[in-house]
Amino acid sequence: MDGDSVTQAESTVSCARCGKPAHLQCPKCVELKLPREGAAFCSQDCFKAAWSSHKSVHVKLKNDEAFNHSEELQKNWLYCLKKGQIRTPQCPHFDWTGTLRPYPISKHRVVPAAIEKPDWAMDGIPKIEPSSDLQSRVEIKTPDKIERMRETCRIAREVLDAAARFIRPGVTTDEIDEVVHEATIAAGGYPSPLNYHFFPKSCCTSVNEVICHGIPDARRLEDGDIVNVDVTVYYKGVHGDLNETYFVGNVDEESQRLVRCTYECLEKAISIVKPGVRFREVGEVINRHASLSGFSVVKSYCGHGIGELFHCAPNIPHYENKAVGLMKKGQIFTIEPMINAGIWRDRLWPDGWTAVTSDGKRSAQFEHTLLVTETGVEVLTGRLQSSPHVFPWLSS
Amino acid sequence: MEDDDESPPLAVRIDELPEPIQLESSLCSDTSGGNKEEATVGVTVITGYLGAGKSTLINSIINGQHGKRIAVILNEFGEEIGVERAMINEGDGGALVEEWVELANGCVCCSVKHSLVQALEQLVQRKDRIDHILLETTGLADPAPLASVLWLDDQLESAVRLDSIITVVDAKNIRLQLQEYRDSASFPEAFLQIAFADVVILNKVDLFVLENKGGDLITDGLEDLQKEILSINSLASVLQAVRCQIDLHEILDRKAYGANHLAHLEALLEDSKTAPGSSRHDYSVRTLCIYEELPVDLNKVRLWLEDLLWEKKSHMDVYRCKGVLNVHDSNQLHTLQAVREIYEVVPARRWRVTEQKMNKIVFIGRDLDETVLRNSFKSCIL
Repeated sequence: MDGDSVTQAESTVSCARCGKPAHLQCPKCVELKLPREGAAFCSQDCFKAAWSSHKSVHVKLKNDEAFNHSEELQKNWLYCLKKGQIRTPQCPHFDWTGTLRPYPISKHRVVPAAIEKPDWAMDGIPKIEPSSDLQSRVEIKTPDKIERMRETCRIAREVLDAAARFIRPGVTTDEIDEVVHEATIAAGGYPSPLNYHFFPKSCCTSVNEVICHGIPDARRLEDGDIVNVDVTVYYKGVHGDLNETYFVGNVDEESQRLVRCTYECLEKAISIVKPGVRFREVGEVINRHASLSGFSVVKSYCGHGIGELFHCAPNIPHYENKAVGLMKKGQIFTIEPMINAGIWRDRLWPDGWTAVTSDGKRSAQFEHTLLVTETGVEVLTGRLQSSPHVFPWLSS
Repeated sequence: MEDDDESPPLAVRIDELPEPIQLESSLCSDTSGGNKEEATVGVTVITGYLGAGKSTLINSIINGQHGKRIAVILNEFGEEIGVERAMINEGDGGALVEEWVELANGCVCCSVKHSLVQALEQLVQRKDRIDHILLETTGLADPAPLASVLWLDDQLESAVRLDSIITVVDAKNIRLQLQEYRDSASFPEAFLQIAFADVVILNKVDLFVLENKGGDLITDGLEDLQKEILSINSLASVLQAVRCQIDLHEILDRKAYGANHLAHLEALLEDSKTAPGSSRHDYSVRTLCIYEELPVDLNKVRLWLEDLLWEKKSHMDVYRCKGVLNVHDSNQLHTLQAVREIYEVVPARRWRVTEQKMNKIVFIGRDLDETVLRNSFKSCIL
């Protein structure tokens, strides 16, 4: 391998000890598949000097791996595989991109019989949605449907707010899921994610390097984590979808910057929504703002139409794209940018749902369900007076 | 216990490790498509009536001594069952390997890539080396939806890319099929398949010859047929074949959908190659070309295209579009490409000093009105 020409190439990693461009990495970290950040060095000398403090990273991971989740396994909680169709007592093998690992998940939560359910609630398979013509044309909602969506989206907002109030170091994402589940059924709604293509839980909880679709499990939130909670409620025959990323305890500055930038990406995207605007412009706005801050935009997942169906046309990518069509009054869709601190690429965990950044760095997301009005936009899932003040940049 | 070592192990060079981290700046538009496209695997969609010779073509490709490792996806089951059968040749004259490609079902709705694309990407990732993928379609009336699924945004940097659409046509029967429906409102597959093709393989020319005995009549007949096909779609390359024996180089790596390597870019700039010849038969599906020298405003071009392709205010039905644009205030030659409603206008390369800057757009569609197209395009001139 021609090493010389490569050494002169730019190094995108800095030496963990002195900050100079790094071309060497700790072999133990490679073996344990730990992230490169903090494990790269410019020279053997720097590595040697940093060794006594660096090696503690290896020990921490060993402890994590030794943790056999015996408490959960006793309760018969298992790991999720195959999109939720299978459970297993063994943590699956994977070349994990960051330090996060899956934990066992709790039993399937029950929804009272009286609550109206979407067609996947019983067997996990949506029937109406995949074959609907609403996958290829964008619906103009009737005033009646719009009114129902206003109501459902408000309920979804209140459910998410309940989850937000609950977040602090020490709580598990499973407990967050319980809060979401209980709040949803208390309002008479069905938590749309539950059993959607076999998704095992009532909301998605995405911690740190998880981009989206994280499955609530037995892991406790730690001081310094960021966590996204994605709620969708099905009520009166329509769905309302939103998500927010929250800080757990004291979060480092870079993560704060990431989360705030993601919030702004959504804000800027919403500000251009009105009749006549091209769907593809959403991606242009988001991409520009994220890039200016040095972050990247996830490309595998996109915003979507919503109404009687959970996901339908239009598809709204958050990067520069060839999406067809112009916004029209009466359309309802989500915009949900996922912004990464590092590279845009994503990978899928063995459970078939959890999307993580391929470089193990953090990712944040925000989402709203939006109605295109005569002159602009109505944010159906917008913050209420009662919404908790969890974002430092929003002054009360 | 080894972590208690006083002395650290020897650090390893990052560039020797698999999958180096690349932090990309999404701000800089990467038009150096060259290298990236070389690394991607081309997907060729093969359409054609039953009996035209698709299977013969695929068999000859997969069994040929060309040294290329080709995967053929036999579109037997469709999305309902969730798997497709793939045959891969080992490339060095080795045996055919059968693979099952699983279409990821579930939650494709909020995912950008269609399940078929994800399945193809996984196939490419799993195998040692695949040089090309052939997607054989059965009974596909209209290739456009499949093309739009496979024509991915460059930004996705997918391992696969749509290379071209090839249709196999039975020389003996095609003329009858075309004539029968030229005025009818219901369109047979023949027109759509030819209209969306990048390559038309005129197969069974030996049988055509047999049918039309008599020296001059044969060559006239074949040439005539070729002209008819080109009058429907002047952008396609028409290859004559007997039992679908085709040189692989003619059909692989066409790069028909590459933004930067727009196939026939040079041909487009050359007058003669795109002017549709006159055809004795007035099919309602045909090729048109408009030409304009003065520079245009890019925003106005987009609006004009969207009017044509999205709003569809006129009675014209545009199937396909390819062109070059002379954009005002830019030294970049811009290329235009559209498949039904999906379109893309991107800068491709600098205009050469020796080149005559121009706008030239070729349309393939139904009930096209040259006057309307030409006049409406004029509104894009600055």
